[in-house]
Amino acid sequence: MRPGGTGRKATSSLSIFESSVAFGLITSAVLAIASVGFTLQFAVTNVLNLAYGAVMIAAAFAAYAVNQAGVTIWVAALAAAAVGSVLSLFLNRVIYTPFQRRKTSPIALVIVALGMTLILEFGTQAIAGPTNVSYTMAQGPMLQVGGFALSAAEIAMIGLSLVIMAFVHVLIRYTRLGKAMRATAANRDLARNCGIRTDRVVTVTWIITGALCGIAGAVFGMNAGTFGATSTDVFLVLILAAVFLGGPGEPYGAMLGALVIGVATEVSAAFIVPDYKDVIAFVILLTMLAVRPTGLLGART
Amino acid sequence: MRTAQEIGGAAAARTARGASLRTESLTAGYGGSPIVHEISISVAPGEVVSVVGPNGSGKSTLLKGIVGIVEVLSGSVHLDGADVTHRATEEIARLGVGYVPQVDDVFAPLTVAENLEMGGYLLKPKDVPARVEHVLDVFPQLRRMVSRRAGKLSGGERKMLAMGRVLMLEPALVVLDEPTANLAPQIAHTVLDEHVRRLALTGATVLIVEQRARAVLAISDRTYVLAGGRVRMEGTPAELSASSEFVESFLGGGQPAGG
Ligand SMILES: Nc1ncnc2c1ncn2[C@@H]1O[C@H](COP(=O)(O)OP(=O)(O)O)[C@@H](O)[C@H]1O
Ligand SMILES: [Mg+2]
Repeated sequence: MRPGGTGRKATSSLSIFESSVAFGLITSAVLAIASVGFTLQFAVTNVLNLAYGAVMIAAAFAAYAVNQAGVTIWVAALAAAAVGSVLSLFLNRVIYTPFQRRKTSPIALVIVALGMTLILEFGTQAIAGPTNVSYTMAQGPMLQVGGFALSAAEIAMIGLSLVIMAFVHVLIRYTRLGKAMRATAANRDLARNCGIRTDRVVTVTWIITGALCGIAGAVFGMNAGTFGATSTDVFLVLILAAVFLGGPGEPYGAMLGALVIGVATEVSAAFIVPDYKDVIAFVILLTMLAVRPTGLLGART
Repeated sequence: MRTAQEIGGAAAARTARGASLRTESLTAGYGGSPIVHEISISVAPGEVVSVVGPNGSGKSTLLKGIVGIVEVLSGSVHLDGADVTHRATEEIARLGVGYVPQVDDVFAPLTVAENLEMGGYLLKPKDVPARVEHVLDVFPQLRRMVSRRAGKLSGGERKMLAMGRVLMLEPALVVLDEPTANLAPQIAHTVLDEHVRRLALTGATVLIVEQRARAVLAISDRTYVLAGGRVRMEGTPAELSASSEFVESFLGGGQPAGG
């Protein structure tokens, strides 16, 4: 499994920089999948689903179970996608929607989501056990890509992330469903007056973003090397930083935010103190909120 | 300024696509106590009917009840004779009802072209471009701003887009909530005298709420006066303008309009 931020032998500050950027790109790739799913979910469903990280890790464990049965993790990730969808749909149907019907305030719904995080993490731990686990996977040969040394597995993670970004781009720009999602996100009543059955759009959005959440969980597990039921607690802060940096509800913003946060945290880990790298993400987020609250690409008024 | 008679003349030339609308003793509100009480209004196919009344009298709530956004507590809504009470707003839209809300009337983050595309969501994708062209013919000023974000348009342009969005589906009934709210007087007159008239000329029945009573009377076939959530008066512009009570309370004295 890959070592920590500065683990690779570095003979000069330039190569430290290069290897930390390489790590950053891998983190960004994982973060991008998670953040795009999160921001799309938030935009369309209007729920700030802070249980997202807990769903990610539950899905990562589902992939682990399939992986343990002898299936390569790249295929087992599909199980993570399925579990991510099912759990997200469950959260929507059984928890969030009933509360929304009772006109629960958005802030109270955030508290509900935090509670669901604990319940899901506890449930994952009850099923999977308290010890951390690792996927059985080959890292493959180290390859030189544009000056960076990356393993074949790491390159595959970045490739998967790029494929998913392209999928999201095509979905929201060119498909009827994607346009209905954007309309629902922008103005739900007006979308309904266009004849769009927004309840269905919202349901499908939970399914799609749940799958993204699940895949993000599996890739998170691959990148982390070893993970446990609460391993995404800090990662959720990185997701929120990427999402709010890009402008909440903005898929392209989340992609950009993930790139910035991923690289910034790893580079700062290499040059400052590795232990504080996640704090850097939060500092970037706070600065952004102070300077430009709508985020990099946010244009909402 | 054009008169109601001219609009009435235009009504004869309209195609026969307009739907009829009728509410029977409609009572509606936001979950608490009702806001509008026992409202019975009717709009004949192709008519332009307005609802005027002071701020807070429940005009918007009435329209929301008709298009299914606000809960109907009792009474009913009939479209072309069919009972559509309690139907979801998207199902009412699918019956040919276009609704332009008072605020949030466009998809602000989307471009003008995308707003129109959304308006044509129910059309076959291959029919959308031609329909967009048609709407741009009705509102030619929109043509040079198709790639601009709707949120960046001026108030008047934005209303044009909101109406154009609704036109995409060739609506049988267009419900307009204070299209001139927050617009400068000159632009407000353009919206009422030109844009709403263009909507009416497509053959659609128009139900329009307005605070600018004098201006909207001039383009209405008939008008209802709402106060305190109830219908207080109704009549043709000529009839209402002849009522001293109406003129004093709602036109602020002065010369009657449209009569
Ligand atoms: N979303 C809402 N929830 C609760 N009450 C509302 C809401 N919107 C309007 N009201 C109340 O309904 C009454 C009538 O409002 P409205 O229908 O908007 O009047 P108008 O359009 O004639 O100005 C007002 O007293 C207002 O406070
Ligand atoms: Mg109003």
